[in-house]
Amino acid sequence: MSIDILQRNHVKVLGSGDQTIVFAHGFGCDQEMWRHIVPAFEQNYRIVLFDYVGSGKSQIDLYDSTKYNDLHGYAQDVLDVMEALELKDTVFVGHSVSGMIGMLASIRNPEYFSRMIMIGSSPRYMNDQPDYFGGFNKSDIDELLEMMQLNFIGWASYLAPIVMQNSDRKELAEELERTFCSRDPHIARQFAEVTFYSDCRSSLEKASVPSLILQCSDDSISPVEVGDYLHAHLKNSKLRQMTAKGHYPQLSHPDEMAQCMKDYLAGV
Amino acid sequence: MDSRLDNAPCGYFSITDAGIIREVNQTLLNMLQHDNPELAGLHVESVLSVTNKLLFHTYFYPHIQLYGQVNEMYMSLRTNSGGDVPVLLNGIRRTRDGESRIDIVVVEMRKRIEHEKDVLQTKVKLQELYQATNEANKRLELLNEEYERKQQELMLINSRLEAMATTDPLTGLRNRRYFQDHLTTLLAKHQDSGQPLSMLIIDIDHFKHINDTYGHPIGDIVLAKLAELLQSMSRETDIIARFGGEEFVAILPETGKEQAVDIAEALCRATAATPMDDYRITISLGVATAEVGETNGTLVKKADTALYASKSGGRNRVTHAGDL
Repeated sequence: MSIDILQRNHVKVLGSGDQTIVFAHGFGCDQEMWRHIVPAFEQNYRIVLFDYVGSGKSQIDLYDSTKYNDLHGYAQDVLDVMEALELKDTVFVGHSVSGMIGMLASIRNPEYFSRMIMIGSSPRYMNDQPDYFGGFNKSDIDELLEMMQLNFIGWASYLAPIVMQNSDRKELAEELERTFCSRDPHIARQFAEVTFYSDCRSSLEKASVPSLILQCSDDSISPVEVGDYLHAHLKNSKLRQMTAKGHYPQLSHPDEMAQCMKDYLAGV
Repeated sequence: MDSRLDNAPCGYFSITDAGIIREVNQTLLNMLQHDNPELAGLHVESVLSVTNKLLFHTYFYPHIQLYGQVNEMYMSLRTNSGGDVPVLLNGIRRTRDGESRIDIVVVEMRKRIEHEKDVLQTKVKLQELYQATNEANKRLELLNEEYERKQQELMLINSRLEAMATTDPLTGLRNRRYFQDHLTTLLAKHQDSGQPLSMLIIDIDHFKHINDTYGHPIGDIVLAKLAELLQSMSRETDIIARFGGEEFVAILPETGKEQAVDIAEALCRATAATPMDDYRITISLGVATAEVGETNGTLVKKADTALYASKSGGRNRVTHAGDL
């Protein structure tokens, strides 16, 4: 059973240390996105990297469109990996939607988690005026999905699986795989819908694991208001504003991000 | 900037890793209705709508950072007056003078994008059609399975009905109709192959007396017992049937006169020697062997005549029509 999960989620374990850090990628990516951060921690921590089912090099045939029609399906992936590796009291680092996935997992099995670090996470991307500002109107999200569709040849088309199986078009399949880090356009689309239409606000108060919210300046996906909202509704949370701009500090400002993580873990 | 690049038939700009625009060519400025050098120094988000910012951050940025290149990406740039220009974009990330830069070229695709949207719509429709066809096929398969099951049931019922229609309920032997049908078939076969064919008519002697003396239920038992005996002594290819009343018939394929007479005599002896419940009976038999041009009618008639001869000759005996 444990071997299945490790293959299913393409789990990699590296580094050494008493405590384990689990890094979880967000939508449109895979574990590759942590490559600038991992070197800063592998001397002192055991590092666990994985891909959600449907992303990266996971076993795509195990994708279940009913299970993954909800962030709880992805939370189950996190719990499965932790159970398979018999982890306890980990530091969970989740980028973007993975911050919420980890939070949902921690409500179900808090014993796996000692700390959470959320980077550019948002409990809801869509505005819910007048009380909540997520940064996007529904029409923005709908338009985004259409643009992704147009960018992704065959997305939402029954022809896509045929393209994928056609060895003459292998380079196209590889391109698609790299572009959205998913070999299947249906999966990428469903992940996008599940992510951008998600609403985790009502779960925040149930979370008890201490957390660090890393808020980038000028993050147009998770604006400052969203970081403030998370901080206000998550018990035992710390909010740290980074000078890093954008949505991917682990790629654009790895040194600053690693330092923020180290400060938090050292209790500064 | 090289004047050829400045006025190349594609928009060109470069950005830093932090997303700040460094260089812009004239073609792009014209495309976005900007005046030089307004754009340089601004963040790339300033030429993107909310949706395109989202697309830029979830798609373009991580991709170019991880793989150094983005090809054939469709997005929209925002003009100075707030309009959108759909473009096809290629980007490459390189290090120049110790600093990394992302070079981007864009080509306007106003006409092309309409075509792409048409294609997308067609694909969506095709998918719906494909799904509908699939579902219809599944329903058809289910119907077909049900149809086959029903047909099997029907065939089973049919064969039972057929058996009922060709069986004599009292004795379990074939009935007169079955006998007539098979005699026709076997006669035709005999005409074709030249193989001999004989038939017997068997009648219980003084059967009326049994009925009158012991009652019909006993008569029925005797009929059933005799049927059992006839059946048990028949060969696999023989057809034994109840002709009516106390009369039985047998078709003996591939059997000539002498063999037929032997069989008839064996039946006659066995019947006389076998108690039917508590009663003893004898039978009279008429034998006929088919000749050229024989029909159902003539063969039965000949056997009947021979039977009549056995009866008038004293009963409990066999007569062949050829000996008359």
